Amino acid sequence: MTSLETHFEVQAFLAYEARLLDEERYPEWLGLFTEDAHYWAPGVENRGRSDKEGTYAPSRMAYFDDTLDDLRRRVTRFTAPTAWAEDPATRHLHVVSNIEVEDGETAGELLVRSVFVNYRGQGDVDAATLYGRREDVLRRVPDGGLRIARRLVVLRHAVLPAKNINTFF
Amino acid sequence: MKDDLLALRDLDDGWLDRRVFWDRDVYELELERIFARCWLFVAHESQLPKPGSFLTTWMGEDHVLVVRRRDGSIGAYLNSCPHRGNRVCTAEAGTARGFVCNYHGWSFDLDGRLAGVHESAAFGREPTFDRSKLGLTPVAQLDTYKGLVFATFDPDAPPLRDFLGDFAFYLDVMLDNDEGGTEFAGGSITSVLDCNWKIAAENFAGDALHAGWTHASGAEAMLGRGVAGLSGDDTESYHVNVNGHCWEFNLDGVGNAATLGDRRIIDYLRANEARFTERLGPLRAKMVGSISSVNVFPNFSFLPGQNTFRTWQPKGPHRTELHTWVLVNRDAPEEVKDAWRKGAMMTFSPSGVFEMDDGENWELATRANQGVVTRRQRLYYGLGSDTAIEHPELPGNVHRGQVNDANQRAFYRRWSELLRAGTWDEVPS
Repeated sequence: MTSLETHFEVQAFLAYEARLLDEERYPEWLGLFTEDAHYWAPGVENRGRSDKEGTYAPSRMAYFDDTLDDLRRRVTRFTAPTAWAEDPATRHLHVVSNIEVEDGETAGELLVRSVFVNYRGQGDVDAATLYGRREDVLRRVPDGGLRIARRLVVLRHAVLPAKNINTFF
Repeated sequence: MKDDLLALRDLDDGWLDRRVFWDRDVYELELERIFARCWLFVAHESQLPKPGSFLTTWMGEDHVLVVRRRDGSIGAYLNSCPHRGNRVCTAEAGTARGFVCNYHGWSFDLDGRLAGVHESAAFGREPTFDRSKLGLTPVAQLDTYKGLVFATFDPDAPPLRDFLGDFAFYLDVMLDNDEGGTEFAGGSITSVLDCNWKIAAENFAGDALHAGWTHASGAEAMLGRGVAGLSGDDTESYHVNVNGHCWEFNLDGVGNAATLGDRRIIDYLRANEARFTERLGPLRAKMVGSISSVNVFPNFSFLPGQNTFRTWQPKGPHRTELHTWVLVNRDAPEEVKDAWRKGAMMTFSPSGVFEMDDGENWELATRANQGVVTRRQRLYYGLGSDTAIEHPELPGNVHRGQVNDANQRAFYRRWSELLRAGTWDEVPS
């Protein structure tokens, strides 16, 4: 059982992170990750319960299967003045909820589970809603703060109900 | 009026009627005369590794179940129970001994035959109940070309090899550059775009032009610079097409592959250049990872180098479901296959730094046609009107220059021929 204080700290951390994404403050968002971070959002397949292959797996295609350098590349595209599809800006809303915190396998790390809904309004009338579950490993760093060392994002969609994913979860 | 539209009389002069992207009756005719008639890509053989392996996919708006049968052959059937019409398979892929309808318990074996029914005594008393006539409806023809599985609903369609024609010469660039052949990396990713399916298909058929502009930000992310110009005098590049199948390319060898930003892929292509040349000859060996794009008529596209393979499934005149896979050489080192799986997703998936900019353009290019006055304005498809050449090595209709609309015109010419023909006999060869 983690302390009330730790739970509150994690909740504030995740809310701050969500606001950085809503406000497209991508370089600051990258700063929330450790150098060895892995950010994985596997493709989800509509497979039967008895199918041993499972609905997602590391060997299969993924929306994101990124190191920190890969994430930096995506941010380069988002922040390029030639990213025509990002102007006017998409109005993103990241809602994070159902936060559970427990000690991680390694000392100084926390295992944090949460659910998210990403609403977006784009252009004049376009809108999309994407949602899923997350599992994070947060690491305590020397300055006393928390950083994301690992994130798993499992979308609840087999067919993505949108033309693209122009944000992070 | 409709005949006039379908004839696309101004196409050779470089003009396209916008109604092809908007009208519901045009779309319904496409389902009948293109999707219920052409050979359509349904699977890669590697997705069906053993007896009982299955996947479900679309042929037009018809849902189809593709199965590896016990004898090792591949079957494809309508995924609809002949009793009340429910789907008999509700998963997108997996392994099964057979398929059972959830509604009334009718069961089918891997050959599509009706194997059993719930309350069989009641059916047994009916003189009209003939088990042999109540199996799943198979496609009319199914065939493979070097690992790719195609099917058609039309028994009169020409054989697959004739449908592909000399385009097989080009397909071998991707499918036969290595002795071990190809496979799909695991999984698939599907998304929806509110665009007409042809806007996506024609983009892959010939639109090298958009790469340098639309994808400037993606190139910045992956290469640290924009896309180099493609229309310089010293650029050796082509549009080629056969039976409406289109490939635009230059001969830089690794231009597309470089955008994946992974040294292991470039090293693999360079290390195997001599082997590609041995199998394909020097010209086609330079196409393996070059700046290029392809559409196999009507809706099966891929990008050499990035190795993204995809279908644009029609969901009404203004909606398209995009299915994507990643092709790799079966004998490539595992780390190279993995680099391709990751790289293709990083660039051409719904979250990919290149693809992200396409959907926006295609949706708005479709939606504009809602305006009745806008719809009267023809679109300009006039690039490369005098670029047709004879080439000593390249078969089919060959045009010099990658920045060209020749393939797009060929795509719509084939579209027009098929929509106007009542039977395959009437389709010009």
